[in-house]
Amino acid sequence: MSDLDCSRRYRLDPDVALRPEPFGALAYHYGSRRLTFLRSPLLAELVRHLEEHASIDDALAASVPEERHGAFRHALGALADSRFICAC
Amino acid sequence: MVSPNTPTTIEASDAEAAPQEPLVTEELLVEEISIDGMCGVY
Repeated sequence: MSDLDCSRRYRLDPDVALRPEPFGALAYHYGSRRLTFLRSPLLAELVRHLEEHASIDDALAASVPEERHGAFRHALGALADSRFICAC
Repeated sequence: MVSPNTPTTIEASDAEAAPQEPLVTEELLVEEISIDGMCGVY
């Protein structure tokens, strides 16, 4: 169960490194030693610049087609659950 | 008697009658793995 709050500002966890890949990005969490494949360049860019937006909803509205918001919220929820992104 | 060369529509009819499988619409955007225990990873 995701505890993602789409009305809040989130950022990439400071312990996470993102490496751009043709499919999107590899995200490595130095604290948990977990590796996550971000399988969309759009998702990788969204996560990289998440902190620049006042909320998750604002970030989605700014760069993601509306028909993909559900899938992206689900993906961001998984990233929040595994502490790759965190609320500011 | 049906000639072996007579085309049939059995397969097409079966296809139309078959229940529609739901399409997988959810995107797999993130895939998480743990690399603990992988040889050569510290």
